Amino acid sequence: MARVYKDLREFLAALEEEGQLVRVKDEVMPEPDIGAAGRAASRMTDGPAVLFENIKGYKGTVVTNAHGSWANHALMMSMPKDTPTKEQFVELNRRWDKFPVPPNVLSREEALCKQNTITEDINLFEVLPLYRINEQDGGFFLSKASVVSYDPDVPDDFDKLNVGTYRIQVKDKDRVGIQALPMHDIAIQLAKAERKNEPLPIAITLGNNPLVTFMASTPVGYAQNEYEFVGALQDGVPTDIVAADTDPNLLVPAHCEVVLEGYIIPRARVVEGPFGEFPGSYSGARLQCEVQITRITHRDNPIFENLYLGMPWTEIDYLMALNTSVPLYKQLKTDFPEVQAVNAMYTHGIGTIVSIKPRYGGHAKGAAMRLLSTPHGMPYTKILIMVDDFVDPFNLEQVMWALTTRVLPSKDVTMIENAAGMPLDPSSYPAGMTTKLIIDATTPVAPEPNPRPVELLKDPVDTEKWNGIIRDMLKQMEA
Amino acid sequence: MECPRCGSAARVMVKSPVGDVWEVYVCETCWYSWRSTETPVIIDKFKLDPAKIGELGVIPAVPPLD
Repeated sequence: MARVYKDLREFLAALEEEGQLVRVKDEVMPEPDIGAAGRAASRMTDGPAVLFENIKGYKGTVVTNAHGSWANHALMMSMPKDTPTKEQFVELNRRWDKFPVPPNVLSREEALCKQNTITEDINLFEVLPLYRINEQDGGFFLSKASVVSYDPDVPDDFDKLNVGTYRIQVKDKDRVGIQALPMHDIAIQLAKAERKNEPLPIAITLGNNPLVTFMASTPVGYAQNEYEFVGALQDGVPTDIVAADTDPNLLVPAHCEVVLEGYIIPRARVVEGPFGEFPGSYSGARLQCEVQITRITHRDNPIFENLYLGMPWTEIDYLMALNTSVPLYKQLKTDFPEVQAVNAMYTHGIGTIVSIKPRYGGHAKGAAMRLLSTPHGMPYTKILIMVDDFVDPFNLEQVMWALTTRVLPSKDVTMIENAAGMPLDPSSYPAGMTTKLIIDATTPVAPEPNPRPVELLKDPVDTEKWNGIIRDMLKQMEA
Repeated sequence: MECPRCGSAARVMVKSPVGDVWEVYVCETCWYSWRSTETPVIIDKFKLDPAKIGELGVIPAVPPLD
């Protein structure tokens, strides 16, 4: 049974035990220190979480880069911190199949997020040490919130309760902007409310159990509940949730640090942005939705968890690496059992690599087109590389070998024009329209001709034995 | 006080919760916000004025009423 973290604090304690969290006790400035530290930590191999305990002008603390390395990602899953990425992918797939695991719904008294309540003179700055993440951002952003909303047609349909990550800009002491892109679940719910000119109730939760944050940024089906996946990824242990005070159908993580309750103001759009985004460039100012905050609940001495995002790789790339790969793998595997693994770690799956054992000519290309029609793959995946089953898609040296020796560009490269794209990808034009690229780097299978079949090299017989000998010698030299 | 992005009037949004060490300002035209300890330099690409604001993209589109 995997170790389960009840909340962010237990996860941070585990990170600290494993040498994956540093505490900054000296006073820092909100800008540029916190953003800069997030940038620096996420660039390091096995970079740690960084906890700021003394921020000029603020009461509270900030933690950044909690998910920002493969070591931290492994610890999130209570695996040894040196677990290779591919093994983390395999373990996630195993736990994924335990879905659904219904959560525990706690009473208000049992939920730590209810320790304090603010209903008057709401001032976000009193609760959250807000800061500018990147220099040209239009304000102070919440980059790691999990936003809870429901389908207004069926408010009590738990399956359609949505927990998603959307960027949030602080506009005033009690008002924030939110980005609801049309392809995201919250936009479906918002449209239903706005057609009736009604506000959409939402809860913005901060400082969550690390797997809640992980699932909030995972592309799952509209009628698949994220909390039931959290229980699955906790290896079958239910997560704890509680009703928001302002709406019994808004169920929030029971032990999160802060809950901002309110509603999206219907049919209003106000300037939002720019914001330094995950493709490594700013997305400019747009007219976007705003949220009126009407109530805050929070734990004693709340910790503000936020992430740095910028030129990949940053914390967000670790956060949405395997949680993009696994659902795509599961969706593809349903119709194509020959698929071995999916690596959709590059810019939220804009770049994706699939390993497959094709059964007949054109099979790999068919699987590629299936991936490009999955709910996430359709708008996001632009460059798709298909490799043989014996190529590890998480090993880029192997993938480059496949590209350099398996691909005849005149027949193996396919472009599909005028297709759906990710608007934040600056190469999409107009924003949201792109050309898909499929590179079939698998070995041709009949009836596709393979006029020059080759015998692949195999490792010499005692390679594994010598692997052990050399490693032992290196260890002796270190001792 | 003038907004560094669009030149409109800005106001104090909030003062530092601890000590009197900074203020945050916000523009009520383009909603840019900054802290008194910062020196905002808005690149030309991101400068705004009322005409540009009127031409900004709308995300998501406002649906028709039922």
